[in-house]
Amino acid sequence: MDPLLKLLTLKRHEVPPPGYFNNFSSQVVTRIRLGDSANSEGVLGTMFVEAPGLLRFIQMFTARPAVAGVFASVLFLLLVVGIVYSDYSTPTNPENFMQSQAEQISPISTVASVTPGFLDQSVPAPSGLVSSTNPVFSFEPVDSQSGGQNSLLQPVGYTH
Amino acid sequence: MADPIQPLESSAASEPKAEVPEEVLVRRSRRGDLTAYDSLVKRYQERIYATIYHMTSNHEDANDLAQESFIKAFQVIESFKGGSSFYTWLYRIAVNKTINFLKQRKNRMHMSLNDLDFNAEHDPDLMALISHKTPRRDAGLTELQEKLNAALMKLSEPHRMVVVLHDVQGQSHDEIAKVMDCNIGTVRSRLFYARQQLQSELADYLK
Repeated sequence: MDPLLKLLTLKRHEVPPPGYFNNFSSQVVTRIRLGDSANSEGVLGTMFVEAPGLLRFIQMFTARPAVAGVFASVLFLLLVVGIVYSDYSTPTNPENFMQSQAEQISPISTVASVTPGFLDQSVPAPSGLVSSTNPVFSFEPVDSQSGGQNSLLQPVGYTH
Repeated sequence: MADPIQPLESSAASEPKAEVPEEVLVRRSRRGDLTAYDSLVKRYQERIYATIYHMTSNHEDANDLAQESFIKAFQVIESFKGGSSFYTWLYRIAVNKTINFLKQRKNRMHMSLNDLDFNAEHDPDLMALISHKTPRRDAGLTELQEKLNAALMKLSEPHRMVVVLHDVQGQSHDEIAKVMDCNIGTVRSRLFYARQQLQSELADYLK
């Protein structure tokens, strides 16, 4: 007989704990009665199958409670830091607020910069906030028919 | 309408045991008769468990997978058309479930081996392997068991399944082909390759 096949006969001698099969069928039937297929088909079961790393992560906590404690402490610290940081980052300076508003209307200034002939060349290049060139915020009629100055392109004084 | 529930195998203790035919048990199970299904579970539980255990080398996983295989089989027993034996059909469910399980948990292999029974120490073939004639005479049965299981776990799932079904459980090539839904040639080639792999892995213990 092939030595490998002899060695494989060892597997036939591996037996479950005594009495294991006494309750096996009743456990199966009980689970069927209870509709208990959640272990494999339920949301948690599916989640663990789809993401085995998550299962390992949770098992690490059960195997090592100290790790769970450290993880909880880190989470708590992050929460505290988040709360403290949120208190300091509230925008109270009006200049900061205006600057953030200017950044929001930057598309208009972008258009102006790529089409310089569109603007009156005599008008100095804007060096600050140019809110009046934003057609969205202007309700004045455009006087292009009469050859008058376009109110949308009126020069703006920049004073602080 | 369902047949009146007849006492099944467990009730025939005082008289010669007349085994209820598998077809009858399956027919009753299809009608939701859990007593009949309990008999089917009892009939195949050891073989199904053993197959899964030999595939996983883990008692707890084998327990879960065996139970889930039987539960799944009951849930879909309506789809059993009788083209093959119920045993083959059930085996196919267990095998697929086990292979899927192993593929998804490839990085988390943990052996939890069952104890060897008393007969292992009296098996002359096994004793020959750990006799003083072998180069590894210090190897006991438990060490052999661990090495063997570790070598099996290095095989791919289909190759391991073929070895388990053929060399451990003694199923024929034809039966294995039906269970694994492949042709006999594939079974033979997988068996040949798997044995070669095992030979090289266990060379120290097979001299």
